Amino acid sequence: MEVSFSNEIRSLKLGDGEVFHGEGILAVTKALLQSGVTYVGGYQGAPVSHLLDVMVQAKDLMGELGVHVEPCTNEASAAAMLGASIMYPVRGAVTWKSIVGTNVASDALSNLASPGVMGGALIVVGEDYGEGASVIQERTHAFAMKSAMWLVDPRPNLPTIVRMVEKSFELSEVSNSPVIMELRIRACHVRGSFKTKDNIAPRISARELQQEPAAFIYEKLAHPPVTYRHEKLKYDVRMPAARKFIVEQGLNEIFEGRHGDVGLIVQGGLYNTLIRALQEIGLADAFGRTEIPILALNVVYPLVPDEIVKFAAGKKAVVIVEEGQPEFIEHEIGSILRRADINTTLHGKDIFQMAGEYTAEVMLAGLAKVLPKYIGSIDVTPAQTYALDIGGLREKATKLLATPLPPRPPNFCVGCPERPVFAAMKLAQQEIGKVHISTDIGCHALATYEPFSFGNSILGYGMSLASGAGVAGFSAKRPVAIMGDGGFWHNGLLSGVTSAMLNERDRVLVIMKNGYTSATGTQDVVSSPRSASKNVAEGASATGSERTIENTLQGLGVKWLRSVHTYRVSEMREALKEAITTKTGGLKVIVAEGECQLERQRRVKPMRAQAMSEGRRVVRTRYGVDEDTCTGDHSCIRLSGCPTLTVKPATDPLKTDPVAHVTNGCVGCGLCGENAHAATLCPSFFRADIIANPSVMDRAMAKLRGAITGAA
Amino acid sequence: MTSQRPRTILICALGGEGGGVLSEWITECAAHAGFPAQATSVPGVAQRTGATSYYIELLPEPAPEGLQPVFALVPSAGRVDVVASSELLETARILERGFVSPDRTMLISSSSRVYTTVEKMQMGDGRFDDQRIHDAAKAMARDYRTADLEKLANDNGTVISATMFGALAGAGAFPWPRNVCEDVIRAGKRGAEASLRGFAAAFDAVNGVAPKVAETSAPQPELPEPLPADFLALPASVREIVSHGMARTKDFQDAAYADLYVERVRLLIKAAGDAGDPRVAHALEEGARRLALWMAYEDIPRVAQLKTRASRFERIRADVEMKPGQILKVTEYLKPGAEELADMLPENLGRRLMRRVQAGKSLPFLGRGIHVATTSIAGNLMLRTLAAMRKIRRRSLRYVEEQKQIEIWLDAKKTALARSPEFAGALAELPRLLKGYGETHLRGKANYRAVFDGIVAPAIKSGSEAMEAQRLRKAISAALADPESSALSQLLAASRSEPPRLLAAQ
Repeated sequence: MEVSFSNEIRSLKLGDGEVFHGEGILAVTKALLQSGVTYVGGYQGAPVSHLLDVMVQAKDLMGELGVHVEPCTNEASAAAMLGASIMYPVRGAVTWKSIVGTNVASDALSNLASPGVMGGALIVVGEDYGEGASVIQERTHAFAMKSAMWLVDPRPNLPTIVRMVEKSFELSEVSNSPVIMELRIRACHVRGSFKTKDNIAPRISARELQQEPAAFIYEKLAHPPVTYRHEKLKYDVRMPAARKFIVEQGLNEIFEGRHGDVGLIVQGGLYNTLIRALQEIGLADAFGRTEIPILALNVVYPLVPDEIVKFAAGKKAVVIVEEGQPEFIEHEIGSILRRADINTTLHGKDIFQMAGEYTAEVMLAGLAKVLPKYIGSIDVTPAQTYALDIGGLREKATKLLATPLPPRPPNFCVGCPERPVFAAMKLAQQEIGKVHISTDIGCHALATYEPFSFGNSILGYGMSLASGAGVAGFSAKRPVAIMGDGGFWHNGLLSGVTSAMLNERDRVLVIMKNGYTSATGTQDVVSSPRSASKNVAEGASATGSERTIENTLQGLGVKWLRSVHTYRVSEMREALKEAITTKTGGLKVIVAEGECQLERQRRVKPMRAQAMSEGRRVVRTRYGVDEDTCTGDHSCIRLSGCPTLTVKPATDPLKTDPVAHVTNGCVGCGLCGENAHAATLCPSFFRADIIANPSVMDRAMAKLRGAITGAA
Repeated sequence: MTSQRPRTILICALGGEGGGVLSEWITECAAHAGFPAQATSVPGVAQRTGATSYYIELLPEPAPEGLQPVFALVPSAGRVDVVASSELLETARILERGFVSPDRTMLISSSSRVYTTVEKMQMGDGRFDDQRIHDAAKAMARDYRTADLEKLANDNGTVISATMFGALAGAGAFPWPRNVCEDVIRAGKRGAEASLRGFAAAFDAVNGVAPKVAETSAPQPELPEPLPADFLALPASVREIVSHGMARTKDFQDAAYADLYVERVRLLIKAAGDAGDPRVAHALEEGARRLALWMAYEDIPRVAQLKTRASRFERIRADVEMKPGQILKVTEYLKPGAEELADMLPENLGRRLMRRVQAGKSLPFLGRGIHVATTSIAGNLMLRTLAAMRKIRRRSLRYVEEQKQIEIWLDAKKTALARSPEFAGALAELPRLLKGYGETHLRGKANYRAVFDGIVAPAIKSGSEAMEAQRLRKAISAALADPESSALSQLLAASRSEPPRLLAAQ
């Protein structure tokens, strides 16, 4: 794994009355332990990866408590884990990135929500929405509504988040329904503190084993005819119970204000931004004291009609501050008010933008439109001038900078083993022409950016091969599907490979075998190299000897199968050309093998440091460019994009264009040289091997060579 | 309503630069000072060198009894008190997003650049102009401080988060004294000493104190070769280029070749007339520059010569930061093709080889990638032997062909200089297209010919240089726009469909 959580693990052990300092998502982790969870599962993905990663590393603590931790192979298997809470009085939590993870999990979730749960079941989703999001912009809210699972959206401060985790389990238990907690990116990463409680060892656990399996109760199965009754239960029994609990426990919070004519109803997660917006027009202070009444919904589904009615009654208008589309909450409040015949005017998406993150700027613009209508005394000129000011700032900056700024998308890491595959792909296409490339989710999706700009479609995690099926039907040239080993095990094997095998389709699949789900923090997959082989491999790629993927494919009957080490660009180019052009029918798979460079470096760096400190012989390899022979055409960069292969001003007074240059960040992966050969680029590239603590032999040879060549 | 408002700090960094560490340092300082603070971040795909941002809000005084400040998690445009950026282009991005306001924002930016792929991959120079960013920053910020925080970090054996911390403290961005910051760093233990050194260096740097590691400002170098007397009247810029050109051509072949260079430049000067005219001076300067580079073209002997130089190995030693007692081995990646070999052979031999190649036959040892260790005895001697081949270069196929092309270009340039300095200036830059090796070089030659035959020749013929100068410039940048030469062919095709300029001119 990429990160080590030793400090975080310490803070998970804190007891009564101590103070936890740290990130929101780790506060959630601590809250789970304080709630006495029996099991935790999930699938990694920003911004919630740490929840699971830290628990995986905290083996002994989990052992003491008897908590079962299971990093699952996809969100569906994580969601299915919650089945344990249907028949047993055990609390469980799972986590993943939403919306995508919830999409994958939704089958299990429907089947979980229908019979409902006995023990508290909590789903912590990272609501990957707005700035920094890496997925399609949709709301988890829809899933909560369609399956009648309750949706919690806490105010983004640690004490509230922690309290809501604890209350979510109770809510789940009193209403026999799974509960989803949505946390936006910045809420997951917000650093704060809260007073901790002792962790609770669950009553039924890996230490306290359940001796007898649950009795057979047909009503607990998501299977007709009981599914009809389940649907009734959801709305006749569970939802009322949930609403009762929400009110009794005061899960939603009202902040009174002196201007009683208007009320603001806001998703808990947006509360802090709303306060900031109100501060701009002097309607709130630094401590959240507001002049406009606010109803902060820490539970956004279901709403409690009485609560809404009480808040709205007697007001001229209520303004719903609801991020994302469509406006589910506004619609629900609309019908609540109509049914209660409350004639308070309803505002929401009519004054705020429908799509996109609700920043203070966005909220302010909306509030400035609506507040003066109902409260004459409010002066919104600051809001209007603010809008003008920043408009002016942006305009001025754009004018001064004159030309558009070059974008800086994420890039393959230095020495990434996936980069060479795309260099080879570029070269192959120069010879056999362009082909349709269906791409996938994972680091390799970075090839959609310069200098490669590859990919005709992205249809989801592990979907690349499947997404090419239709295209293959009408394409003269075979489409190529790129897939990571992460995506392969997540669902590419089933959705893509088995389907292609079943239909005996003539397809090409490239699997990036780097050994981990690298994009999410190099968590293990079933084909990750075992630590034994890592130690053997040392500096070399540890994935070479790991054959699980190859064996699986052969087991399925894949005949055309090549494993190619990714740094051998020419070999990879030939393999690609053959796969795309060969007469052989059926599925053709190239396993592009090369261990994730992050993991490799994590292993190699300490080894090197150790050896150096012990004065042992260490060879450091890096590449370089001769600026004398570099003509500044940069075709090497167009085939690589490695962060350490950059440009610098030519020292040669005659040359005007910048020359290529390799920085000392180079890890010596060798792609530069391979490309220079494979593409017949130029003679400027050289490999430098630097021998530290040279042996007697080394020194003698060096002396001799130096004497004759004058070079070294 | 209390008028208190939090102090807001926005930190922009790239993945793996320790922006997280920096924001933790700051919140810990706040804790020590007893100020409430909150930090959050959008790490982006941090490990993958994307842009990341950290946002901190703190109350510059203890919170009143029983009250907790409500901090925002998202920075608001125009409402940020301090912006710290680890990279200059990211600073520009922050300006563009409206986070820097003249009446509020202190902007601290490293002057260092980490070029984006789009900038690096251009066939010419795609780098964004730094000066424009500095000017914009000066104009937009209440207080703009900049220093090479990356260099300061490297010089002090630490990372940029430490020098950013020092720069912030030095600029007075924090409501607590310097020693609070330094105590927090010390508490961090690992690498604390280096961090403190970097912190101190940056602290001084943003206060105009020169860093301890003196900037190596290169003194104006002597001209490498004495100029002929009749050149001394030329503008300084031209004199310098010519002198370097003489050195280059002499190094490439011999003194006689340098004389040929001088002779050729002299012809241009004669044709040019008043070199006092800046347009003419530019045309001469560029002409002299491109002529020298062209005459010292990169054939196998040249590459071998450059690769076996003692000075080269000195440079590599410095580049790879070798420590005393360490040993260097250098291996070259070479892939000599039939063309390269033919180029260095005597003309008739070379042509025979090329005919062989065109007939589909080649030589077994050609077109294969080879690794040559220039630090090994065999490898070094092999390259030196190849370098020695320059003695027979004058009879080689490529020499003959290059000289022919050079003469054609010179004739055109002479005519142009007399008629239109602008056109001559553009024409001077045309050889810039003759870049690279192998495929790249062939493409460059093709583009050069296309432009020469499509624009230069007709213009000279019809005497319409003055009006074609603009188009010639466009064509050159079009040729450098994309490797597939699609921009260029579009431009040339488009102009063909226009009414003949010759008639238009009459």
